[in-house]
Amino acid sequence: MWKDYSLSYVKNNRSSSVFIIIAAFISALLLSLLCSLFYNLWFYDVQKLKIEEGDWQGRLVGEISTDDLTLIENYASVEKVTVNENLSDEQGIVVDVYFTNMGNVFTDMPKIAELAGLPAESVSCHYSLLSLYLIRSAEDPALRWIFPFYLLTTVIACLSLILVIHNAFAVTMSARIHQFGIFSSIGATPRQIRACLLQEAFTLSTIPIIVGNVLGILICMGVIEGINFAMTDVPGRLVMPFRYHPLILVLSLLATVLTVWISAWIPARKMGKLTPMEAIRNTNELQLKRRKQSRILSLVFGVEGELAGNALKAQRRSMRTATLSLVFSFLTFSFMMCFFTLLIVNQNMTYFEKYQDVWDVMVTVKNTDIDAFTETDALQELYGVESGAVYQKAVAKRMVTQDEISEELQAIGGLENASTQYVSAVDGAWMVNAPLVIMDDTSFLAYCEQIGVEPRLDGAIILNQARDGSDPNFHDRRSVSYLVENGQTTILRNAGQEDVSVEIPVLAYACQVPVLREEYGTLDYYELVHFVPLSVWKEIKGQIGGAKADTYIRILARDEVDLAEMEDEVSGLLSRGYQAEIENRIQAKLDNDRMFHGMMAIIGLFCILLAVIGIGNIFTNTFGFVRQRKREFARYMSIGMTPDELKKIFCVEALVIAGRPILITIPITVISVVVFINMAYIDPMVFLHEAPFIPILLFFLAIIGFVALAYYIGAKKVLGSSLIDSLRDDTTI
Amino acid sequence: MEILKCEGIKKVYGSGANQVKALNGIDLVVNKGEFVAIIGASGSGKSTLLHILGNVDKPTEGKVVVGETDISASNKTQAALFRRRKVGLIYQFYNLIPTLTVRKNILMPLLLDKKKPNQEFFDQIVKSLGIADKLESLPNQLSGGQQQRAAIARSLIYRPALLLADEPTGNLDQKNSKEIIDMLKLSNHNLEQTIVFITHDEKIALEADRIITIADGRIINDERRR
Repeated sequence: MWKDYSLSYVKNNRSSSVFIIIAAFISALLLSLLCSLFYNLWFYDVQKLKIEEGDWQGRLVGEISTDDLTLIENYASVEKVTVNENLSDEQGIVVDVYFTNMGNVFTDMPKIAELAGLPAESVSCHYSLLSLYLIRSAEDPALRWIFPFYLLTTVIACLSLILVIHNAFAVTMSARIHQFGIFSSIGATPRQIRACLLQEAFTLSTIPIIVGNVLGILICMGVIEGINFAMTDVPGRLVMPFRYHPLILVLSLLATVLTVWISAWIPARKMGKLTPMEAIRNTNELQLKRRKQSRILSLVFGVEGELAGNALKAQRRSMRTATLSLVFSFLTFSFMMCFFTLLIVNQNMTYFEKYQDVWDVMVTVKNTDIDAFTETDALQELYGVESGAVYQKAVAKRMVTQDEISEELQAIGGLENASTQYVSAVDGAWMVNAPLVIMDDTSFLAYCEQIGVEPRLDGAIILNQARDGSDPNFHDRRSVSYLVENGQTTILRNAGQEDVSVEIPVLAYACQVPVLREEYGTLDYYELVHFVPLSVWKEIKGQIGGAKADTYIRILARDEVDLAEMEDEVSGLLSRGYQAEIENRIQAKLDNDRMFHGMMAIIGLFCILLAVIGIGNIFTNTFGFVRQRKREFARYMSIGMTPDELKKIFCVEALVIAGRPILITIPITVISVVVFINMAYIDPMVFLHEAPFIPILLFFLAIIGFVALAYYIGAKKVLGSSLIDSLRDDTTI
Repeated sequence: MEILKCEGIKKVYGSGANQVKALNGIDLVVNKGEFVAIIGASGSGKSTLLHILGNVDKPTEGKVVVGETDISASNKTQAALFRRRKVGLIYQFYNLIPTLTVRKNILMPLLLDKKKPNQEFFDQIVKSLGIADKLESLPNQLSGGQQQRAAIARSLIYRPALLLADEPTGNLDQKNSKEIIDMLKLSNHNLEQTIVFITHDEKIALEADRIITIADGRIINDERRR
């Protein structure tokens, strides 16, 4: 009987079924897209981590013999064991252990170490990799949020969708309360009614769920390919083609079915609980439980405003989804647009504008020391190179006595204010970081000329500046002179062994820095930067050490030169024997913009999806309530309300629904932007110049347009209906 | 003095084989101050006639003149203004606006015209109808009888010369039915309003000055009792 009844209802009421189909389709699409996207992001993280840190799960370091290795290899849960040749040295052998079941790593590694006669300290686990498989240890205090974030977001998405789409089911089911009242009165149990409604929901949802899931996968494929295309040139990024796993399909199908089932079950349960009399008497009318006043609408739009306001209040529950999703989508969109604009403005100020005259092409020569780099001259002689500086960075320490500290620095508190993380008190003096910037000799000589000192290659130039930590404006940092400028030499110490030192002449104390794409004193306000020529470095590196792995090349090109061509030329030169990453300023800006726009597109898509849900809900309401609105409007007409006055009610309702997002969004966005502008020391006029007024306005107009369209169609249906028929409805109940 | 005149009213629903003649040539004159009951079996056309008299529906053929206005020729806006100002309509199921208080419901026709109510008259109506203490309630908080009283108050607020009631007691018990008819009679007497009402109940019809019987869309009997 139910099958016949449901099938006949579905066949004969296609318009009311369409909302369920849309709701199920949207849920399936969103959840499938989310699951596939998260799987791809997760897979990328895993692969990147494996490439950067290795794919080992457990690691043992120590004196490990071949017999020990065999012992470990034969351990029940161990899949394989490899000796890490790169990390093994005279201090011990490093063995990477792989398990058949990764979950055993924390329990079995200590046992394996014991078996091999190694202390517990010799064991380490790959916490970051394991956390990506949701394998966590209490001994790892780090906040590894990626996997939990993906899970939590999916759960939140499911809950939000339930909140959003259960209304589509509720509206369609409520339209038949009267019929179910009749069924109930002739003996249908609540369970039977609930089962009938759920059965109907699933009949209608099956195809949309399948289609939505497939489309979600295809959209994800497009998004991943789009990201790969947009970020091809981003240094250090892996290009990972779209991947999918059958388990993800199972997971997203399960999530969708569960979401749709709960969404259908909530209203079905309510319907099942109604007594026959409640159901038969139900007129689907807009009712207020208690008296409410729409003062503002009444004041502005008169009695029509009051009627519209009351109707909206009476519909509040069913309109909640529409209101929430419209407000949330507009809020997220506006917030995101403003936030990204602020980020772009901020990045332009702190990076692109600040360094635009400092570099055109930047090369990172991987794992190469500056003294081993032999192409400096060839590089500087390349056509189009205005200036090319080759440099490497190294860490060192330096002792600063109280007498050496300038009066200016003492006036702002001296080194007592410094964080102990960077500065330590030693024998009445201060041990500070003294980062070295080792420059090729030609560039160092040019730097000497730049600051007006006699060009020499036998000493260091000290950047005599300390940042005033009391000034929070990081865009325009206030600095004071660090040292009194009377020291003829500087004693640099090995950062690992501070008793090993070397004394070199000071050529100058400078306030100007060489033209390099570097920032100094960003974290450690009291670092004492030393610029040294390669000639000096060759003499002291044995004592000081601490050189960073890579060497950098900064190139300023002549005006007429195409940076992409220059990039190719440099790449050609370095291809013989060096592994290099090259970027050019314009391309970097373009890549950066592309990255921002890509992110904006993804979030924008999410906002549009939310807006679609909201607008879909309004369509559901306007159509779903046509019958009850017919009666409501027939009443207005019966007491003499003119068609224009009726249209005014619809207009006010549409205006309130579409206007609410802007009324809520604008104050929140403005306050947030003002707070951010103050925090980031951005000139408000610069932001206003770049502010995303047009996209926000377009988004808002789109919302208004669609809400107006929904109401226009709904109003046309209601106003076009016969007054006499609508009034006659009453007498049929 | 004639307040209502119908000439050859016909109302046809549907077309072809599905055509239904709800009214088939009604000629009717009602004088000012008359208290008229229309009776007839279900489907006889009495509600259709009342809707046409109230400008809720349009005749397929014929002419309806209320006062000096031919309402059968009015457009939607003119029809709405006519219902608002010239007639009072009372329905079996009250047709109160569920989201407005009783006070607002009663004042609705005036509010639509942005007119201020005559407080004295308003008080007089609600007092005589016995709903003075229910003015701030919502319709669903009232009993059926109280809702019908509120609907009558609304129909009276513009002091229309003609009051049309479609089975005003159809949904009420005997006691409430009697009270509603008494109130209509009082209104007819005190305000000199012309009242035309439909009823199934012969006992209630006997309270009228004139009883018109309709069958198959025609007037088959028109009895003046007083």
